[in-house]
Amino acid sequence: DAKMIKGLEIFNETAGCAGCHVLKAAGSEGNVGPNLDTVDLTIESVVEMVTYGLGVMPAYGEEEILTKEEIEIVSYFVANTAGK
Amino acid sequence: MNKKKQKLNLNRRNFLTGTASLAGIAATASVVPISIVNANHTEGSKGLPEFISWKDRDALIVHSDKGIETHRSAIGESLITPNRNVYIRNNMPTMTDYQIGNKNNWKVSIQGVKNPKTFTLGQLKKLGHTTMATILQCSGNGRGFFEHKVRGSQWKTGAAACVLWTGVPLMKVVEACGGINGDAVFMTSAGVDHEPTGLDPKKAMVERSVPKKVYQDAMLAWEMNGVPLPNAHGGPLRMVTPGYFGINNVKHLGKVAFTTEESSVKYMKTSYRISPIGKKGPQYPSCWEMPVKSWITRPTDETGTVKAGKVQIVGVAMGGTRKVRSVKVSVDGGKSWKRAKFVGPDLGKYAWRQFVLETTLASGTYNIASLASNGPDKQPELRMENRRGYAHNGWKDHSVNITVV
Repeated sequence: DAKMIKGLEIFNETAGCAGCHVLKAAGSEGNVGPNLDTVDLTIESVVEMVTYGLGVMPAYGEEEILTKEEIEIVSYFVANTAGK
Repeated sequence: MNKKKQKLNLNRRNFLTGTASLAGIAATASVVPISIVNANHTEGSKGLPEFISWKDRDALIVHSDKGIETHRSAIGESLITPNRNVYIRNNMPTMTDYQIGNKNNWKVSIQGVKNPKTFTLGQLKKLGHTTMATILQCSGNGRGFFEHKVRGSQWKTGAAACVLWTGVPLMKVVEACGGINGDAVFMTSAGVDHEPTGLDPKKAMVERSVPKKVYQDAMLAWEMNGVPLPNAHGGPLRMVTPGYFGINNVKHLGKVAFTTEESSVKYMKTSYRISPIGKKGPQYPSCWEMPVKSWITRPTDETGTVKAGKVQIVGVAMGGTRKVRSVKVSVDGGKSWKRAKFVGPDLGKYAWRQFVLETTLASGTYNIASLASNGPDKQPELRMENRRGYAHNGWKDHSVNITVV
C-alpha cells in the first residue's frame, strides 16, 4: 500500500515522529511521548493530535510543519499500526 | 512466577542495552526501551511499563505508558494513597538510576535570593526536615467527563492521590541563602528530565512559575509515603507546591528561582492554560490553585451491586488551598442532600479528608453524589467548560450510579 509506505516515511523522516514514539511497525524506539504500540487510535484522533500538538509535541498543522495531506497520510499509517 | 522472573531478566537486559548505546550517542530520546504488554484494559494483571513495574496493576487504568490512572475504588481507603496505586502523568521520560547517579549528589540551584547557592541533596538534608500531606492532582483530572473532544488522557477521578512527603521546608533553604530578592513575584521551579532527551529546553523543559507566596508552605521532598521518592514520581528530589495542581510540583528538580517574570517555556506560557473552547494563549489563567472537590470511592459502578440495607457511602474531599469544611451526600441525583461525617485523621488543609454517610437503601438504582465546601467556595453542579478539560470539580459528572439488590 503506497499510502502506508509514504506514511512510514513521514513518521520516520519528514516529521520525525520516531524520535519521540515507540512504534513497532516503524521500528522506532523514542521514549518522550506515549508508546504507540500501547494505544488504540482512530485516524480522526491522530489527525487532531498531529495538527494541534500537545505539550512538547509540536502542532504540525497549526505551525505548518506538515501539509494537510501529509498529516492525513501519517495519521492513516499510525491509526493502522498503533495498538497492534 | 517463572514467567515473571524471565520477564524481569529480559527487562534488565533491555536496560543495559539502552544505557550501553548511550555511551555512543550524546543525547537520545530512546533512553529506556519500553516493554508494555497491553493497554486500554481495565482489569486483570497484565503488563505495566517497565519503569513502574512495581505498581499494582489491578489498581490502575492504563491510558498509555505515560498516562496511568488509579481506579476510583483504589484511591486509598486509609486516607493516604499507597505508592503502588498512585497515578502516573509524566511530560518527560522518567529519569533512570543511571542518569541520576548518586542520589545524595543530586544538585539543585537556588536563584533569585540574596546569596544564590547550589545544594546537593545531602546538604539539603542538613538544612531542615519535615513531613507534610498534600494532594497531588493532575490539572486534567476529570477530563474524561467533558463532552467536546479533548486531547490528552481521559482521566475520570484517578489522576489524584493524597501523599505524605518528607523533605526540607523551602523556607529553610531560602533562609540559608539570605532571603528572597525584594523584587521577586514568582517562584519558578525547573526539572532536568528533558536534558537526556536532547530536545529544545524552551519546548521540553518543565519549568513552572507560581505566585511567590507559595514558597511559605512549599517543600523540597525526597521521600514519598515513607520510602525514597521513586524516579517515576520525580526522584530523587521534587518540588511540592501544596494546594496547586500536579504540574507545579516539578519532578527531578534542578532549579528554584525567585523571578520577576513567569517562565517563558512552553509548559508555562501556552500549555496548562484554562481557556474557552476554541481559544488558547498565555493571556488565560494557568493551572495553579486546585478548586474544592470531592468524589465517592465506594460504592461505585466499579464495585458491583450493593446489598439492600445499611450502606456506608465513602469518599474523599479536598478544599484546594483552604481547609475542606463540609461534605454533603445525595442518593437521589442531587434532589436532596445529607451532611456526611468526616472520619480518620485530619492531616492538614492540603490533605483530603475521608467522609462517610451511613444510610439505608432499598433495592433499586441510585445516583449518588457528593458536594464539598471549603467555606467561601463549594463545588458547582456543572463543569466549567474549557478547551483542554482542566480543573473539573462539578459534582454532577463525578456522581456514580449504583444498583442495590
